[in-house]
Amino acid sequence: MQFGQIGARVDRYAYTNNLAKTSPATKLLFALSVLVISVASPSPIIPFFVFFINLALLLLYAKIPAHFYWKMLLYPLATALLSCVLIALFFGYGESLMEIATPWFSWTIFKSGVTMAVATFLRVAGGISCLYFLVLTTPITDILILLRRIHVPQILIEMSLLIYRYIFLLLEIASQMNTAQEMRLGNTNWISKIKSTALLAGNLFIRTLEQGERTFTAMSARGYDGEIQILDDLPNPRLWLVIGILFFDVFLILASVLTASGWSLIT
Amino acid sequence: MHIMEGFLPSPWWELWTIVMIPVVIYGIYRISLVTKNNPKTKPLLALVGAFIFVLSALKLPSVTGSCSHPTGSGLAAVIFGPAIAAVLSMLVLVFQALLLAHGGLTTLGANVVSMGIVGPVVAYGTWVICKKAKVPSSFGVFLAVALGNLLTYVATSVQLALAFPTAAGFLDAFAKFGTVFAVTQIPLAIAEGILAVFLFDFLVKYKGKLLNTIGAVNLPSALTRGN
Repeated sequence: MQFGQIGARVDRYAYTNNLAKTSPATKLLFALSVLVISVASPSPIIPFFVFFINLALLLLYAKIPAHFYWKMLLYPLATALLSCVLIALFFGYGESLMEIATPWFSWTIFKSGVTMAVATFLRVAGGISCLYFLVLTTPITDILILLRRIHVPQILIEMSLLIYRYIFLLLEIASQMNTAQEMRLGNTNWISKIKSTALLAGNLFIRTLEQGERTFTAMSARGYDGEIQILDDLPNPRLWLVIGILFFDVFLILASVLTASGWSLIT
Repeated sequence: MHIMEGFLPSPWWELWTIVMIPVVIYGIYRISLVTKNNPKTKPLLALVGAFIFVLSALKLPSVTGSCSHPTGSGLAAVIFGPAIAAVLSMLVLVFQALLLAHGGLTTLGANVVSMGIVGPVVAYGTWVICKKAKVPSSFGVFLAVALGNLLTYVATSVQLALAFPTAAGFLDAFAKFGTVFAVTQIPLAIAEGILAVFLFDFLVKYKGKLLNTIGAVNLPSALTRGN
């Protein structure tokens, strides 16, 4: 499964990259503020610029292997490209760029459609690079500790930790059951394959629930009252970094205001 | 139906985020009420969340800046009600954005509105009506989950059509997005409905008592056995 391979490697880099020792609050501040500014910016130049900033930070500074980052980018960017080509071809209004007339139908490609498609593609690229910066440099548990510090409701953090655990539990039990079925020749032909899949799907839910309930009982017996204790020893944010990020944000906002009206792909 | 990070232009992603917030806050209130009264529901809640995660990760890419997949949130709505389904969907969508780059943080609002609010509300409404009409429960679950899934995609089409207008207006854009989705979504909705019926029957059989205490089903006590 694609998730198992890429997900596990992302998790490993999150703990071992060169920025792992930096305070997660700083990284979260950088990723989220730049994400919001670049997605909200009216001109596509800002997300384009942000994409390269994140590329440089991840490859040169955090030392994420380039081929792995490329592999992560490939799928979402390919889907985005395809979608944007379709937007350019079928959407938009106003001034037309090109008209194709055939005996059966006539087809107009609009300037605004193409502009919209280019802007969308660059916005997706910029947004995804911010998301990847956060994921590749910051482990999920650090983010959850931060959420606890800013007093996000306890039940939300508890549910996230439990769901996070159960996703892996579900996958693990599914693969165990699949192995058991294979060993008993459960997947030899088409009919037995369907039968095995139905059995697996039905039992998977109950088996996972029962294992989860046993864990829950065991935790309750050890004094669990809704709060999962995690060691809160995150490094503190450095002042100069936070100020630097704020300056960068102001710069991005100014740049996006200045370029807001001045851009057009096709003149 | 996950709209990818950055795909929605500016007024729209902010708008959907604002729409999402009150519903999620109400859902958090509901979830803390349920878990306070019955701490034993926590594993079931987390499992339903994980189920939503796994089902909605089984995606077929679609050319609309989005993708087609079962949602899983319909079953959550049938068991726990739509508000809790919205919270579970939000948590799952954040995980998917962070772990799989599937969906995004700025488009979180739009995705929660379609998968966590519109779909579950429709599923729950259908389920309540079916219960009132004394339709057999398996058919009720099937109808609720399948309709919840389909309406999720209608909601996504509306969101995309609002953001990407065409010359012929909103309805034309809506029809374009809707057609692309309909090809893959109708079979997927039926498949998800069937899967939900199996899972619901399993749950009633083995965890009937738990479902009874949270009010998902009203079974005579003779039928609820075991834990």
